[in-house]
Amino acid sequence: MIIQALHIFGLLGALAYAFVQPRRSRLASRIIMWAAVLGIYLVVLPKHAAILGEALGVDCGADLVLYCWILIVLVLLMNVGLKILGLETAIATLTRELALRAPQRRAGNGDDWKGA
Amino acid sequence: MAGASGSTTWVIIPAFNEAAVVAEVIGRVREAYPNLVVVDDGSTDCTDAVAHAAGATVLRHEVNLGQGAALETGIRYALGRGAQRVVTFDADGQHRVEDIAVLERRQRESGADVIIGCRFLGACPGLPFCRRWVLRLAVLFTWLTAGVKLSDAHNGLRLFTRRAAERIRIRQCGMAHASELVGQAHDHGLTIAEAPVTILYTAYSLGKGQRLGNAFRIVADLLLARLAR
Repeated sequence: MIIQALHIFGLLGALAYAFVQPRRSRLASRIIMWAAVLGIYLVVLPKHAAILGEALGVDCGADLVLYCWILIVLVLLMNVGLKILGLETAIATLTRELALRAPQRRAGNGDDWKGA
Repeated sequence: MAGASGSTTWVIIPAFNEAAVVAEVIGRVREAYPNLVVVDDGSTDCTDAVAHAAGATVLRHEVNLGQGAALETGIRYALGRGAQRVVTFDADGQHRVEDIAVLERRQRESGADVIIGCRFLGACPGLPFCRRWVLRLAVLFTWLTAGVKLSDAHNGLRLFTRRAAERIRIRQCGMAHASELVGQAHDHGLTIAEAPVTILYTAYSLGKGQRLGNAFRIVADLLLARLAR
């Protein structure tokens, strides 16, 4: 019962994250959302999990919950990658702006100054 | 506004730690194309000072971002200076200056917006077997992801008309820009053509070139960017 409560608590957290987080990727949000909903369903109704597990060729229905978690973690990792990509883009924009503001121009090409 | 010489072709040379060769490359390019800009991508070996002393206009990235980001910076600068054509040219000395004229001629004849140099239509003496296959895979990957079939997708020698340069925005900071810009050209309805060029492989350029590991990173970068849409 305690384990079930912990799973549900965690999966509800993942569900909330899927709704609240800035939508870096709609696909990521949807995957997290559906994996969390499926996980909660499997935790709340373990008999269904066993039937579904058997149908899918997984011996233990509880393993399906684990798979949901793995999927959620992988998508969260991907989301971190997207966040890093966003930061990289911001750094590139800033660096480019600085570079374009201070070109070291060669002499004698019609420019009246040699920068930085 | 045209460049100082009246020429409207600008050559962009992205450089990262190329102090050993960049002056010689600049010297060769400047003889025929006075409008050139070196984008020093956060080098730690005084590439910027060497390039400046060799007579190039230098834009310096304070941090290393990657070749894609350097090209984008150079292209924005050239467009701001009135460039009608923009040529990208590697700093490691593996391109021939006379091939720029080949690209220009091909552009005039075909009317295409983007001309991509192709070493397999031209010559590439000394190309290692392994790298040849990496390049073949890159061609396949670009075809699958961008829908454009090229013979050489990752050639650093390219020409963009002003129309193309204004529309294409390189967002991939790293080497994935080569596939990205082909995809963008296709998406914007720009026409792409290839021109035969010669790539001169030296021990230096082979040491600086792409490795198989980069191929995986390129795939990962492009997939991540696609997910972010």
